[in-house]
This record gives sequence, C-alpha cells and structure tokens, in this order.
Amino acid sequence: MAQAFSLFTVRDSILHRFHPLTKLSSAGFLFIAGLILPGTWTAYVVLVVIALPLALLGKVTRAWLAAAWRVALPFIISVFLVQGFFWPRGTPLVFLGPLSLKREGLVFAIASTGHILAVVSSFLLLALTTRPDMLMTALTQAGLPGNIAYIIVATIQIVPRFQAKAAAILDAQRARGLETEGNIIQRLRAILPLVVPLVLGSLVDVEERAIAIEARAFNRTGPKTSLIEISEATWEPPVRWVIVGVMVGMVGLSIWLR
Amino acid sequence: MGDRGGDGGDGGVEYLVEMIALDNVTYTYPVTTTPALQNVSLTIPAGQFCAVVGANGAGKSTLAYTLAGFVPHFYHGKLNGKVTVAGKDTAATPLSELVLDVGLVFQNPFNQISGAKFTVREEIAFGLENLGVQRDEMLARVEAAMRVVGIETLADRSPLALSGGQMQRVAIASVLVMRPKAIVLDEPTSQLDPIGSREVFAAIRALAAEGSTVVMIEHKLEWVAAFADRVIAMAGGEVVADGEPADVLTDESLLTRGLGQTRYTLAARRARELGRWPAERKLPVTLEEAVEGFRK
Repeated sequence: MAQAFSLFTVRDSILHRFHPLTKLSSAGFLFIAGLILPGTWTAYVVLVVIALPLALLGKVTRAWLAAAWRVALPFIISVFLVQGFFWPRGTPLVFLGPLSLKREGLVFAIASTGHILAVVSSFLLLALTTRPDMLMTALTQAGLPGNIAYIIVATIQIVPRFQAKAAAILDAQRARGLETEGNIIQRLRAILPLVVPLVLGSLVDVEERAIAIEARAFNRTGPKTSLIEISEATWEPPVRWVIVGVMVGMVGLSIWLR
Repeated sequence: MGDRGGDGGDGGVEYLVEMIALDNVTYTYPVTTTPALQNVSLTIPAGQFCAVVGANGAGKSTLAYTLAGFVPHFYHGKLNGKVTVAGKDTAATPLSELVLDVGLVFQNPFNQISGAKFTVREEIAFGLENLGVQRDEMLARVEAAMRVVGIETLADRSPLALSGGQMQRVAIASVLVMRPKAIVLDEPTSQLDPIGSREVFAAIRALAAEGSTVVMIEHKLEWVAAFADRVIAMAGGEVVADGEPADVLTDESLLTRGLGQTRYTLAARRARELGRWPAERKLPVTLEEAVEGFRK
C-alpha cells in the first residue's frame, strides 16, 4: 500500500476553499515579487507581510515552515559558502586559512536566500492547501490539455508506488545475497541488479496502465465532464486578473529599469 | 456455494441475442512466430456468464484482449479471422467506441487504478468523465457500482492506499460504472480472499442475470463451477472444450492438457478408485453435488 505523494494537508480553512487558480496566481505573485523586487530585504518583507499571513489563514504554518526549511536549506548553505568565501575583491570580515569571508558576498547571499525562500515557500503554500487533482481539473477547465494534466497528476501520485517497488526489489536482491553496502565499487556493482528489474517491471506496469485507462475511454474525443466541483466566489476571477496584471507589470518594470 | 441458477446455460433460458462472435480467429503477437490464438471460433450470447479456463500460456489473456479490441488496436501483431462484439467488427471499430460495448478488468489491480484521482469515488468516475456524463448521473452510477461490489465504505479513501482485494473491487466497479454490454475479466479474483472472491463472483453473476454478457478468465474452478453458465477450456491457443461446467470440468482427457479439476471432482474420483463412487454416477463439480453424491 502506498499513500499518494502529495503535500496537501487537509484543513478547514478559507485558503483551502479558494479556487485553485486563485491560489496558483497568488503563488505566482509571491514568486515574482520575492524574486525580482529590488533590495536585500525585500523578499523577506514579502514573506513576512504576505506569505506568512496566508499560511496562518490556511492553518498550515508549521508544515509550511518545516517544508520550506527542508527544501531551501541545502541551497542556502551552498549560497552562503560560495558567495561568502569566493566573492571577488570584497571587504574581508573573517579569515579562514587562505580563504576570507567577504561582506559583499554575505549581503548577496542574504538577498539570494530571500529569493530562494520566496520561490520555495510560495509554491509550498500552494501545494499544502491545494489538491493536485483539483488544480489540474481547474487548469483543464481553463484550457490545459487533459493528457498533460493526467501525466502531471499521475506522476505525482505514482512516485511512492515506484519507491515501494524499488524497496521490494532491493529486499529481494539482498535476500539472494546481493551486497548493497560497503565500498563504492560494491555499491556500483549492486546497481545493475536493482535497476534492470525496476525498469523492466515499470515498463510492464506502464503498458498495463495504458490499457486500463484506454479501457476507460481516456482517448475518447468530445467534451469531458468532472465529478469534482470547484466552487469560487464571485470576487475571485477579477482578483485573479488583477494579480496577473500586477505580476506582468512587475516583470515589465523590472525589465525597463535594467 | 452454488449460486448457478437455471436462468442461463445451454440447459436454461434460451439466449436470443448474439453478443460476441469469433470466426476462425488466429492471432500472433509482434516479433513472435507461434500464434497465441489458433482457429478460435466462438459465439457468446447476451446475458451468459462464460468462464474461460486453462493452464498458463493457454491463450486466455490474449482471448480477453481480443474480445475487448486491444488486439489488434493496442497489440498490433497479425490477426486473421473476424471478431464481432455487439454487432461491431472490433478490427474496424475504434477502441474509443468499443469501450462502450465491452469493458475489461485484468488481474493486477494496481495497474488498473488511473493514478490521477484522490478518492475511490473519483477513481470510479474517471471513465464517465471521459465519456462526458453529467455530474448528477455520474454520482448515481458511481454509488450504484460501489454497492454492487460492496465498497461504499471506501468511497472517500485514496485508491492507492487500499489492499489488493479492495483495489480489485474498485477496478471492477470502474468498469461496471460504464455499463458496457459485455464485460471481460482476466483473473479478477487473483488477489482476493475467499469471501472477497465469492462477493465478486456473486456480483458478476447478478450482472449476467440483468443481461450483461460476462467472459471471465479464472483458475478457481470451484467458483467457476458454482457460478458460470458455460466453461470454455483452452490449451495451446486453441479451444479444447466448450460446454456446461459439469461436463467440461469433469472431462478426464483435459487433465493432461493442463486443466485442473475441482476438489469435489478430485474427491469423487478418488472415491471411485476405492469403489465408493459408482462409475455410472456423474462426477460432481460443486459442493452440493458432492454432498448429494456421497450421501447416496
């Protein structure tokens, strides 16, 4: 048994009840604002003033902060190390052997971290409060081809099953004496007996699944309907257009100012 | 466990409408030389519950794919002869149209789950969404299909977080909901426990009683004997026996061709060897027949 691979968190919140496209456009706005607005601390302001209240509204603050931290941390560490120590011709703050931590590099790393956090947290907020299939249904109703929507959602959902299959093959091969631990050469040797059955088995699965969805009229042409009803308040469509307009304006202004 | 009534089979009600017909069908998969089906000719009337039995590699699954139109539309290969379902030549009818006439359920339940839906209810509705069925009708049909296979309590669960047996029932409901005229099932109970198997057989029996044509590939001969109107035995891609369960499942010549026998038939054969089951007494295929025979 495998649970679906989704960050969606069930909550009774206003944010959860918003139309998926409203949330998608809001996430896009946070993304753009956090990424292109000038200033070292601007992205942090966007996070605190807009994203955090939205997370509170969605009752997902803890999950949002934890996920954002987990996803962004490796990037943040890399940015601080690379920019801090390898910034050309900056003001040295601390010396570490032949390396020195530069002030300008740190300032750049702080700004970059803000951008990274804005990008990551905007889409985490969307993922935590929106079921992927609802989002795809909304996108399909807005004109996204059904095949593309299916591929995206099915891929997201099937990841855990793929992981479970890989784990089962790993256990089976270990039970037959395959050494999967030890030095790098032993580990490399173990890859082929794991990958080959996984890939071949997955190809068979794909063929069967193709037949199964074909047997359920997946490729039938003509209008399709949806069991999922997505409601939206009357204010949502105009607000979405305003958000999109502001986003386009921000991007245009950013290009013009350069 | 016998639920096979007198409403079907050669000895029961006379079937009037021919639902499935295979006329001298031979099929060879691409990149192979040995035909998977050889000179198969069959006629299956509407409302009949027909079981297909045989050893692994006998051609049963290929027959299922052929009936459902996946041969030749999905598996191209070389098809000779003619397959007709609900009056349509399957080779000349697009698959997207054939799915309205014939539904297919196969043995691996996980691979029948679309993977794009979050609840069982939505999963079952997937086919209806593709057909453009209106939401109210869709909801009613989904609820009815869930009732038939006894999964109403799973309606709001994730289809990917179910046991194999539960998933298989979801897969069956997903096909039933489309209300095809004929349903082909390829070992649908392979992942089910005895109670689950009985429920599925009973549900399928009920469908046949309502007029659906059922072709079910199955190894569980006790259930076949109890529920099916007719048994087709296959070996080496050919039909080697075709008739009522009581005749086909007791045919001694089929034992050497990979066809098993029910435990009741086996017990009676042993009893016959010991002189405790008279040679003139017909061998049983169901529990009731065995009990009656041993009582005499």
